[in-house]
Amino acid sequence: MEVQVEGADEFARASYAKICQDTFRDLGVRTSIDHTYLYLNPLEHRFLISVKIGRVASPLKVRDVTQAERDKLKISDEKYAPKLLAVLWDSYGARVQQVGRLEIGLKLDEKEFEVVKELVVYDPREDLIARILDGIDRILPEGARVRYPLPSPSRVTILASEDPIPEEWKRRAEEMVRALENHV
Amino acid sequence: MYKIMMFEGGVYKFNELKELIEDLGGFIIQELVMQTDTILHMAFPVEDEPVIRNKVKELGGKLIDLPLAGTEILVVTPSMGKHHAVNPLCDIGEYLRRKGAITHIMGLARGVGKRIAQITAQELLMMEEFDALIFLVGNLKECIEAKVKIFDAVSVPYIVVGGPAEVDCAHYVGGLGRRTDRMRRKEEFDKLELMAAKLGEVLDEKRREVEEDPLAASPLFIKELIEMVIPPTPGEEFPIVVHLDGLRLLISDIEASKLRDIEVGKKKLGEISELRKSLYRGYLLKILPEAVTGSVF
Repeated sequence: MEVQVEGADEFARASYAKICQDTFRDLGVRTSIDHTYLYLNPLEHRFLISVKIGRVASPLKVRDVTQAERDKLKISDEKYAPKLLAVLWDSYGARVQQVGRLEIGLKLDEKEFEVVKELVVYDPREDLIARILDGIDRILPEGARVRYPLPSPSRVTILASEDPIPEEWKRRAEEMVRALENHV
Repeated sequence: MYKIMMFEGGVYKFNELKELIEDLGGFIIQELVMQTDTILHMAFPVEDEPVIRNKVKELGGKLIDLPLAGTEILVVTPSMGKHHAVNPLCDIGEYLRRKGAITHIMGLARGVGKRIAQITAQELLMMEEFDALIFLVGNLKECIEAKVKIFDAVSVPYIVVGGPAEVDCAHYVGGLGRRTDRMRRKEEFDKLELMAAKLGEVLDEKRREVEEDPLAASPLFIKELIEMVIPPTPGEEFPIVVHLDGLRLLISDIEASKLRDIEVGKKKLGEISELRKSLYRGYLLKILPEAVTGSVF
C-alpha cells in the first residue's frame, strides 16, 4: 500500500503517513488497498482521505482452515472456528458436532464430505468496506465529525471537518478525487 | 521539608532502616515485602539523606530517587477513543508511576476538535482535585495552538504534551502526540524523561508556594495519625493518597465522620483541615496553612 499525504507541516505529514500504514495493517486490509491519499488542512479544519481498493484476497474455504480426516475436521486456524461452525451447522445441523476445541465430528457420507470441503467460510470482500471505513474513522482527527462521502466505483473517499462543509469545498474535493483517478 | 525515596533490597537488617527513618522523624509511605525482596517508599527530612544513604549502603540495597512521589497526577486526553488510548496515554501514565506519582487518566466528554473543543464545569472541578495535570493533544500544530486556550481555565499547574517539536504554548513538551505503537526506544524514553522533568519543575513551583505559607502539619504526618484510627482495609492498594497540600482518603462515610476528632498536637484535625467529598473518588482532606490555624504544638 502506498500512502501519499499532502498539506500541513512536515511532521504532521510524516506522522499521519505512519498512522495510515499502521491502522490499515491492524485492521488487516493493507494488502487489499492500492493507494491511500490523505489531505490535511488544519487551518481550515478540512481533511480528505481517499482509499483506492486493489485486489482482495480470495474467499477462504473449509479446506483452507481445516485438515480433513476420516469423519473429522481438524481446525488448523482457530481464528475462523466460530465462522466455520456457523457455516457447518447452517448446512448440516445436528450432524455436525464440535468434539473438542480443535475437532469437529461429521456424520456425513463421502459425497457430502467432499462438498463440505468446498464451502466458503469467510469472504474478505464481505466486510472490506466496513473495515476500511473503520480505519478511516481511526485515522481522521477525532474532531472532524461532519462527513461528506464522495462515491466512486473503486474508491472510498471522505471529506471531513468539524464545521458544516461549504459547497465550494465539496467541489474542490470532487476535483481532487478526479485528479487522483486520472493519476493513480 | 521531606524527601521521598525508594529502597530496594533484601530483608537483612531491614528493620534497622525502618527504625532509623522513624528516629529521624521520617515516615514509611509504602512497604512491600515479597519473600526476600523488599521495596520501601520512605519520606525523611532532606538534611538526613547522607545518614540514610550510609545505612542503605551498609544493608547492600539500592536507593532510588522518586522526584514525583507524594503527588497525584491526572493525565487528560481529548477522548478515550483509539486516537489517544492506549498509545501513548498509558505509556505516559506508566512512566509517571515509575517516578513515584500516583497517576489517573481521564477522557474529556467534549475535548476533541479545534474550535469545538471544550472542558465542562464538572470536569474542571474534578481536575482541580489533583496536584498537577498533563494534557495530551495530537499531531497538528495549528489545532494544538488553537486548543490550548481552553486549558487556561484550569487553576492547578499543568503541562501540555503533543506531537510537534515546538508549539506556541508555555510548559509544552513535544514528541508525544498521536501514536500507533508503544514508546520503547531510547529516544522515546528521553522524551518521557523530559516530560517528567518539566512536570517536576511545575510541581516545584507549587511546592515553593506551600513552603512560603507552611501547612499546619505535613500531609505525611496526618496520614500516619489517620492510619492509627482507621486501619487500612485489606485489598485496598492506596487507601490514603498523599497530595502536596492534603490527602485523598478512600474511606467509608462512617469512617469519615471519625476524622474530625483526631488529635493533632494541641488541636483537632477538624480545626486544621477541610474535609469534602471528592467528585472523583473518596474524600479530600485539605490541610489549612499554619497562618490560619495557629501552631498545633
